[in-house]
Amino acid sequence: METIWRILPHDVQQAIDRLQREKLHNVEEIRLRVGQPVELVLEGKSLFLDKAPPFSIIGVRHVLDRLGEFSLYTLEEELKRGYVTIEGGHRVGLAGRVVTEKGHVKLIRDISSFNIRIARQKIGAAKGLVGWLIHYKRWLNTLIIGPPQTGKTTLLRDIARLASIGGDKLPAVKVGIVDERSEIAGCVKGVPQNDLGARVDVLDACPKAEGMMMMIRSMSPDLIVVDEIGRKEDTEALFEALNAGVSIVASAHGFGLEQLLQRPTVQPLIDQQLFDRYVIISRRKGPGHIEEILDKNGKRVRVLEKEWAT
Amino acid sequence: MKYIGALIIIFTATAIGRLLAMQFRERPRQLRQLKSALQSLETEITYGLSPIGQAAKRLSEQLPQPGKNLFSYFSAKLATGEMSLQDAWDETLDKIWPKTAMKKNEKEIMKQFGATLGLSDRENQQKQIRLALSHLEREEIEARAAQSQYEKMLKSLGFLAGLLIVILLF
Repeated sequence: METIWRILPHDVQQAIDRLQREKLHNVEEIRLRVGQPVELVLEGKSLFLDKAPPFSIIGVRHVLDRLGEFSLYTLEEELKRGYVTIEGGHRVGLAGRVVTEKGHVKLIRDISSFNIRIARQKIGAAKGLVGWLIHYKRWLNTLIIGPPQTGKTTLLRDIARLASIGGDKLPAVKVGIVDERSEIAGCVKGVPQNDLGARVDVLDACPKAEGMMMMIRSMSPDLIVVDEIGRKEDTEALFEALNAGVSIVASAHGFGLEQLLQRPTVQPLIDQQLFDRYVIISRRKGPGHIEEILDKNGKRVRVLEKEWAT
Repeated sequence: MKYIGALIIIFTATAIGRLLAMQFRERPRQLRQLKSALQSLETEITYGLSPIGQAAKRLSEQLPQPGKNLFSYFSAKLATGEMSLQDAWDETLDKIWPKTAMKKNEKEIMKQFGATLGLSDRENQQKQIRLALSHLEREEIEARAAQSQYEKMLKSLGFLAGLLIVILLF
């Protein structure tokens, strides 16, 4: 919270300070929009701080100054991607007027909205799950499927952590994370802000397809973790990685396996039974709720609890 | 007694002359230094991509006075996080300038430069630095001309003025 506090303008700080302490623990997002009151998202519900004055242009300047340490040129890449990762792994999304060059986004100018997504690493989130994902001390290729905000990244992060630290039944392996959106490891200047154990190497802000190949070539990982596959290049890179004998844990947007099968870019992965496990999650009973675990044929997997409880 | 007094008068007059001459000698030197500081800043920004605060801190460690004071004061002001970069820059200039041999012109150049600092992408920052550098260059040439014109003259003028007073008093 400390690092987020630093970037907020004084009036927003005061407005949030007036809230009850317990509420602050559940803040998921802080949204700032020019001319609008500040919005907090608490456990999926929104709360407007309409007693405080609306967020102003001066506030935008303040937040930007803090994000780039008064130096806009340090944010060049970030202004192109549309978000900034700050210390603690929190992400600040940006929206405003976009300047393009040759049809590609060059930067966002005249920023009018900030969305501060508060990262909370849930250590142990995947603990109940990993037993299903290991076979004879080898990590199975796994795809985590769920709609946005269901905790896919949280699960991935914890899987990476568990794989890297190991355990009684778990082999500790070298983990390579290709973190295109800086969300899994939450790197600041290349250093992971989340606790991921000692055997993790991160390619931060790297395009997934290229990053997976780079990892295999240079870092000899046993397990590669990537977020949100779905593009054609990703699929090709995944085929390549599996041929190289590296285990993969990935996530994809979707409500279930059937829906994913309709995406032409992902379909070949499923058809060729590239993944050994599909984990379907939802928000039905809070984020990270595991609906079902399927094997490569799409059948439910049953594993005795004793086997994996560590 | 009289002779001692005369000596004191000549001595002080010479000292005043030298002091005034020093202003003329120091100005081009400090201007040159300021230019090299801006060049280092350019490298920090375009290649190192370091934020202004960090760059200023590093510069303050490398530079001799008064550049050292300028950048260390500036980075300290920025680190408080209570004011905008432009305010911190202007305040620093106001504070440091009276202690240097540099004039209003250079201060104006630096003020204008500060108004653009940190507000654009790398390419633009580089342009702004180049612009400030070329302005400073002009000032430096002017300062050098003034130095060659006045430095020696002021030095001897001080001594001679002292001598004149002594002769008149005798």
